[in-house]
Amino acid sequence: MTSPNNSDFPRPLAGFCIIEATSMVAGPFCGKLLAALGAEVIKLEPPQVGDPTRRRGPFPGDVPHPERSGEFLYLNTGKKSITLSLEDAQGKLLLRQLAGQADVLIHDYQPARAASLEISPEQLAEANPDLIVAALTPFGSFGPYADYSARHINVFHGGSEGWLLPNGLALDTFPDRPPLMAGSDMGDYQGGLTAALGALAAVFARRSGATGQAVEVSMQEAQLAVGYMPMQRLEAEGLVEDRFSRFFRVGGVMPAQDGYVELLTLEPRQWESLAHMLGDPDWAAPEKFQEPAKFGAEINAGIRNWSVNHTKEWLYQEGQSYGVPIAPYFTPGEVFNSLQQRERDFFTAIDHPEAGSLEYPGLPFRIGESPLPLERAPLLGEHNREVYETLGYTGIDLTDLARAGVI
Amino acid sequence: MGPLSGIRVADFSVHAAGPFAGMMLATLGADVIKVESAARLDITRRTHTMYGKPPSSFEQVNANKRSVCLNLKEPQAVELALKLVKVSDLVLENFRPGVMERLGLGFDALRHANAEIIMVSLSSNGQTGPERGYAGYAPMFAAIGGLGHLTGYPDGPPVELRHAMDHTGGMLAAFSAVAALCNKRQAIPPFIKGGAGGISAPYQQDSSSAQHVDISVRDLATSFIGPALMEFAINGREAQRRGNRDTAFAPQGVYPCQGEDAWVSISVDSEEEWQGLRRALDALMGEQNWTDSPNFGDAYQRWLNHDELDRHLGECTRYFEPWEITQALQYQGVPSFPSLPADQLANDPHLAARNAFPTVTHAEKGSQRAVAPPWRFSHSDAAIDRWTPDLGEHNMEIFHGLLGLNPEEVIALEEAKVIW
Repeated sequence: MTSPNNSDFPRPLAGFCIIEATSMVAGPFCGKLLAALGAEVIKLEPPQVGDPTRRRGPFPGDVPHPERSGEFLYLNTGKKSITLSLEDAQGKLLLRQLAGQADVLIHDYQPARAASLEISPEQLAEANPDLIVAALTPFGSFGPYADYSARHINVFHGGSEGWLLPNGLALDTFPDRPPLMAGSDMGDYQGGLTAALGALAAVFARRSGATGQAVEVSMQEAQLAVGYMPMQRLEAEGLVEDRFSRFFRVGGVMPAQDGYVELLTLEPRQWESLAHMLGDPDWAAPEKFQEPAKFGAEINAGIRNWSVNHTKEWLYQEGQSYGVPIAPYFTPGEVFNSLQQRERDFFTAIDHPEAGSLEYPGLPFRIGESPLPLERAPLLGEHNREVYETLGYTGIDLTDLARAGVI
Repeated sequence: MGPLSGIRVADFSVHAAGPFAGMMLATLGADVIKVESAARLDITRRTHTMYGKPPSSFEQVNANKRSVCLNLKEPQAVELALKLVKVSDLVLENFRPGVMERLGLGFDALRHANAEIIMVSLSSNGQTGPERGYAGYAPMFAAIGGLGHLTGYPDGPPVELRHAMDHTGGMLAAFSAVAALCNKRQAIPPFIKGGAGGISAPYQQDSSSAQHVDISVRDLATSFIGPALMEFAINGREAQRRGNRDTAFAPQGVYPCQGEDAWVSISVDSEEEWQGLRRALDALMGEQNWTDSPNFGDAYQRWLNHDELDRHLGECTRYFEPWEITQALQYQGVPSFPSLPADQLANDPHLAARNAFPTVTHAEKGSQRAVAPPWRFSHSDAAIDRWTPDLGEHNMEIFHGLLGLNPEEVIALEEAKVIW
């Protein structure tokens, strides 16, 4: 494995210090991306318990252990961890001292809570006017719902796309069921990515003279940004899309012998190739594809009768060789073992003192051909001594702070 | 001034993810020049058989950009493209890997034209590997990346993810583009105080040579299912679809409300939230005895009896409108929110208070509301404020004004279908 400190790798944020006061998925994913760019990301965790993902698993053999949670290990690669109680007066002082030494602080506290924790941009600017404070919250830092309690499901359904899912086969199968959120808390990851870009842009703005500033991201608005199309259709055409009206008349989710594939022929050359691949049956005559509203159901029924007799892998490879866009619905295990990802070294073995050596999914971007290196997630409070000593605290001070429950 | 003011982007991208990346950079203040051609009209400029959507004069994904025409099948057009690259900081493209090389605009050609260029290539499967040339659209890379498998009802098929997936790929491309810009950052050292005494390692200036950024949107979908992949790596177990539910607590779901296709999302994790839910239901409907059942006595029992819990809860919510439930639950600190269609979002007081849908105005074409950029900076600007350009609207401005061709030359090249 390549050494993470190998100077051959681009490290755009080398030398930058980022304080991450966030938990669960969105904020930690944001911090993970910035850590991958070479920043020193110091994660603040509540003393004793740490980030709630430490209790969520998956755990080896399903035995809970705060240092062996797959979700935590994944979302916190490349960071340092210190414990700090933001509710304690001494803790607030420590935070200000840390903020005084940092370039960026990311937090996910809604405005009322942020004010009580003294973590608002105005309060932190007193400690460090050059600090970039990025806040990532469900509904933003102002407005009537700013302090509403919300998790991924609430934000996703309040961000346009939730009301529009599912479409196609799942909706045909269960037309009476409620609308659906995207899996794996997708919106939280998307919000974290959006906040990472905001923080990075604020860093880049220094180039033209900007100094410290606040950046705020409302997760709801992050959803709306990537899901802008229904708003545009409403404005331009007066049309309110719903999950019954928004579906691909031709193509979509198709059954295979061993699961499902996605098939989409959006361009004439693609549906002509599909017809050839199918042996040019009447129901797939190219002119029928020209009228998807009229013939879509017939074409899809024909495709399903055919696809269900073949494996996902066969449909994928055969389809692509004909120039027909088909892709398998891979399970996580199939993703893990996929040829393309193995050839691209997407997965990286990382050793961890408590969780052992595991293969982690890599980063979704590359600068150059090689994947950027990943370093392991920290143990709870692993870097207390290292970080607090730079603030001038001695070992004895740290013992006292720990006894008082501050760290 | 936007955070990316002064940065110029030559945007060769087509279809959804790439143009969205360009739009994000443009809202952050970059000068994004969309390179397109009458020879093959951009998908937003024509009626599409399968989408069935008419083109609209305002297409958000191309707003805030300038537009020039280049028919890249013509060698002279490729030369002009390279001239544009020479005065740009970033090149953005999302053709299938290999197409830019065939056009004479591969990374080596770009680097030859501009030794400091950053090329951002976005594709389904990445620039390397055996499947690099495979075709893909958003639902396909969500599928092959594993996110599709995890989206859907547990007893039904997987669900296709659409433009939100595409555009998230664009968001990542924009993030990576700014990361590459920071990698050059001639003048943005960290403020710290680095070296002795500082927390971080001493700052070192990086080289400013050309960089090629490789975005595989399939990798992005995969990076969103980290916990499921860790589950496989740790226990060899396959995570499954879970509808609207959470892996660890209950109840969580979307429940029917009074009204047509009206729904409310509710999520209850802690004991405190469960008691809050009980108080809210009692306040709305009078005392609800079913919540006393030992089947719901603690978090584990509630998780085990999720189906039964959902039936009871749905029987309560269906007598109320989504906002009535939301307000009653929020009053008790319980996460809850309506599932909202576009027309309700457009009229929502919170989003109005935040100016989430600013109006973009064009002197002749009128005005239309757009979706605001998802960041608010205290000392920089991020805005969507310029109408979608007409095809080639800025030909003269760019080819004459920026690249120094004579106006007569520009017109002659337009007539020769080079600038076309």
